[in-house]
This record gives sequence, structure tokens and C-alpha cells, in this order.
Amino acid sequence: MLQQRGAALSHPGDWASQFIRGDSVNSDIYVDPAIFERELKKIFYSTWVYVAHESEIPNAGDFVARRIGRQPVIAVRGDDGAYRLLMNRCRHRGALICEVERGNQSHFRCFYHGWTYDNAGNLVHIPKDDAYPPDLDRDAFALTPVPRIESYRGFIFGSVNPTVGPLRDHLDLAMPKIDYMIDASPTGELRLDAGIHKTTFRGNWKFVGMDGYHPPVVHQSAFEIFRRNAVIDNGGVDSAVAQAPRKTMNDSELAVSRDLGHGHVMLDVVPHRVSEQDIHLAATRRLEGGEEYIAAMFDAYGAARGAELIAVGGDPHLGIFPNLQLINQHVRVVVPVAVDRTDVYLYPVRLGGVSEEMNEIRLRRHEDFYGSAGYGQPDDTEIFERNTDGLQAVVNPWIDLSRGRNRERVDPDGSIVGHISDEVPQRAQLREWARMMSAS
Amino acid sequence: MTGSETIDVQRAVEQFLFREARLMDANDYENWLNLWAAECSYWVPCNDDDADPRENIALIYNGRKQLEDRVWRLRGLHAHAQRPKSRLTRVVSNIEIEGDAGAEIVVHSTFVLCEVRKNETRFWAGRNLHVLLRSDSGFSIKAKKVMLANNDAIVPNLTFIV
Repeated sequence: MLQQRGAALSHPGDWASQFIRGDSVNSDIYVDPAIFERELKKIFYSTWVYVAHESEIPNAGDFVARRIGRQPVIAVRGDDGAYRLLMNRCRHRGALICEVERGNQSHFRCFYHGWTYDNAGNLVHIPKDDAYPPDLDRDAFALTPVPRIESYRGFIFGSVNPTVGPLRDHLDLAMPKIDYMIDASPTGELRLDAGIHKTTFRGNWKFVGMDGYHPPVVHQSAFEIFRRNAVIDNGGVDSAVAQAPRKTMNDSELAVSRDLGHGHVMLDVVPHRVSEQDIHLAATRRLEGGEEYIAAMFDAYGAARGAELIAVGGDPHLGIFPNLQLINQHVRVVVPVAVDRTDVYLYPVRLGGVSEEMNEIRLRRHEDFYGSAGYGQPDDTEIFERNTDGLQAVVNPWIDLSRGRNRERVDPDGSIVGHISDEVPQRAQLREWARMMSAS
Repeated sequence: MTGSETIDVQRAVEQFLFREARLMDANDYENWLNLWAAECSYWVPCNDDDADPRENIALIYNGRKQLEDRVWRLRGLHAHAQRPKSRLTRVVSNIEIEGDAGAEIVVHSTFVLCEVRKNETRFWAGRNLHVLLRSDSGFSIKAKKVMLANNDAIVPNLTFIV
């Protein structure tokens, strides 16, 4: 169930309450190594963690190496056609059985002593096995599966907690928001097959939040470029399109921040984009393959929903607690490395049933802003590092997260809503953090 | 071409690449931009040196317009990732002209780059492929591809000019 509007971020007597005072949080939670260790156990090893997308491992033998918290796992498609999540650890002495990030293999061999597994995880070879009993139960030495694996429309989640509840109960109100990305394809296909931007910053994983307050400041230079180009693309006319980025993040009452429960959050610009639906449709029509795309979308989803989906453009601007975000043209995965070190992987998404020209535009838009040489993401990580350094000043350790508390409202689906620049997402994530960190 | 003409071209190309390196090291964006042709391509592949940009993301895949945007942004006050700016020193070497040098010259080179920013020192390295246009007034860059040694590893802040 969702928290009530105005609910406290933690409860008296809970473990987390020592770090929370009203709508303020003690910066220890971003800098204390002991708290980070507790987060691995209480969050990353307790709940569902996004691992990979089915489109990354379409063929038998395809695999990607990933992490759940610190634990190395592989997502692999077996020769039997099924995909699995397996711990990347030899059952003999524990070395990695897969030493590269991606590939296609029929077998995984540990090059310490040569124990070899097939791509379903079965132990198929032990060198010099005469030293073991002839009736050794080899099934008992198969690669250890991640205890729980479930997927939602291609997004594969794993949990190392065998008693975690169903994934759908965890995703809950976030599911129809994930659909905005998937259903931007008329065939409902996402292809995470166009490379990976991998980056890192010197700071805490929780900095990668969902913040609608920072863009006009951190990304002012990007907005100036958008605006310049929108005016140029529009024949020199400074129109609503040219104003759109600034209006969306700042001024539109139709753009909101949303607490979906379970720590899932959204910068919900859907109503704003739908209000400019005709502009989006006209812009889509001008693209190569645009007319065909619109026809296919209307055919697949009906004219009203199709137009809504085209306006949204596959961008739910959604955060799934704790490690997944769906933003603009990419799927983002946050990997906690240390209290002050976070790796971030950005997987650009191409859409099935869409012209190559339109997909290429998606790739360029993504890399221009979010790549390590882009004009957006590097500024975010720069600010995160300044945050890390600023938080070393602990004479007064309190961080204020009260913005917009006075104007929260509750939508019919139960989600808590605020102005897009309000700290609704920060409070939502912190409330879930406090709940999980306090659980016995 | 006679032997001495070949050497002259080699020397002129080297001087041009050294000049480009000096301008990049100085964060002299505008004069660096002036080295480029009116129609040009600036490509820094991601994940794989030959990942086709029509099918894959790059770290940078810019035409002239985007290159101008890049320089324009870096010159402003709000490119936070370059405040303070990176201090840069690079060595360009192994300069090799491919085939016969005509109006277009294909040049291979390598570089090692030391970046210092906010008390952190980073080393970058890679291979360059330049396509230079030759005219009476000198060379201009028609295309440049930078194959970073770490383009499939974690790539931190790459907002200086490489």
C-alpha cells in the first residue's frame, strides 16, 4: 500500500529514525561506509534488482556479465532456449567462470582448475575426476542460480533473497509506466543492442535520483543548445517547440513529480506532452519512416493511445527502486561499488517496428546528452562529486527535502503527486530506504 | 612524387597534427574548430573501434553543426564538467600517411594524453585516423576518428577535446 500524503519519512524507534528529522536527512547516509554495507544487505540483497533485458541475450549461448550489488552474476540463454541468472562463481574454489562482459559460448570453463559448465549451468567436466567418488552427484555442483528470477515484458530482475515477494507486487503502479517505453514500439519490442555507455562517479549511489529541480541549473547549457537548435529547425521561429524543454521541466503545471510507492518515482511529463500531441505528431511525420510509424502505432494501439504514446516518445522518466531508471532513449542501471563510488551503465534502446532512420535519431539524441562526452550527464556527475565533497562538512549534517511538501496531493491511483520540481521523488525514495533499512 | 616531396608532405602533416594537439591541450576551442572543413565528421566510437554509428552509439558522432554546438557550450560558463578546465598534455606520434597523398590525405597516428583536473591525474591513449583536405592555404580536417584504448571500459568525464 502507498503511504498517505504527508506520511513521515520514518517512524520513531526504527533504525532509520536516527538519521531522519521531519523532512531532513542526516548526510551520514551518503558518506558512512557502515551504512553502505547495511544497504547492500538490507536493500540490494533483499529486494528485486534489475539485471538485464531479454533482447541482450536473444540466441542460445548469449550471455552478459552483471552485478547484483557486489555479487557477480551472468544472464545467459541456454541451448535449451531458456534464460537463467547464475552466480558467476565456480562451484569448486570460487573463481569467476566468465571473465568477459558479453559474448556467446556453449560452455563456461573456470581456468583455475578446469571445471566446466554448459550454458544451462550444469557441471559437465572435472579434470582428473578419479580423485572423486565415482558416484559423485554432479547435479549438486551445478552453477548456483540466483535464487529468484522474474521478468516484466523483457526486463529481467533477480533477487538473492529466496523469500522476496512476486515481482509484479514490487513493481505495482510502475508497470503501466514501464509500458510507455515498451509500447513506443508498434510491435512492443525494445532492442538493447546498440552499445553501452559506461561511466562512474566519486559519490553515493543514492545521488542518482529523479530530480526535476536541477535541470534549469545543472543543464542550462544543454537547454540553451536545445533552444538554439529548435529555433533553427523551426525556420528561425521561436515557437512553443523551442520553449518546450524549459517549459516541461519548469513551468508547465501539467508536468508533475510522482511517488508510485515502493520507492518507485516518476517525473511525469505525460500530460504535458499529450497537451502538445499535435506538435509531436507533426514532427514525427517529417521523419523518414514517420508516416509509416504513426500508421503502425494507430493500428497497434488505436488512434488515441497511439497518439499519446508517440507524444510520450518512449520516455516515462521513471525510477524503479533501487537500481533501474527508464529515461528518454535509454535504460539506466546504477551499480553501487562503495559508499563514495558508483558505476552507471546506460543502455540505449532501439525500437522494433521503427525505421532505421528514426532509431538512429534516438541514438544520436542519447549520446549527445548522456554519453561521457555529452553535454548533460557529465555535468550531473560533476555535481554529484561536488555533493560528495560538500557533505564532508558535518558541523550541521542535515539535508532539507521539504520542497513542495505543502502542495502534495493524491491521485485516484493512490500515487502522491507534486509539482515537477518538488522533492516528492526524494521523499519517496528515502521513505522506502528507511523502511527497508529498518526491517529486521 | 619524388622522395623529397614525400618527405615534405610527411613533415607538413606532422606539423598540422602537432598544431592541432597544441590547440587541444590549450583548450583553445575556437582555433581548433577553425582547423575543420566546412563539412566534416568527428567520430569517437564507443565499445568497439568499428561500431557502425548508424546501428550503435558512439562517444561522439558529430557533424559540423554539432561540433559548433560542442565548442559553443564549452566556451560558456555552464559546462560544469569543465569548470575547472582539464589541464592537458599530449604526445602525438607514429604518424603514418596511408597510400599516396592526393587532395585527400589519410593519416594514422597515436596519442598519449595526461589530464589533470581537481587534483586527479588521468592517462588516456588511443589511435587517430585523420582525413585531411589539402589546398593552397594548407590542410583542413574532413574527418577525424579517435579510437580510445578504453572505449569499452568505464569512461569518466570526457568533456575536454580529444
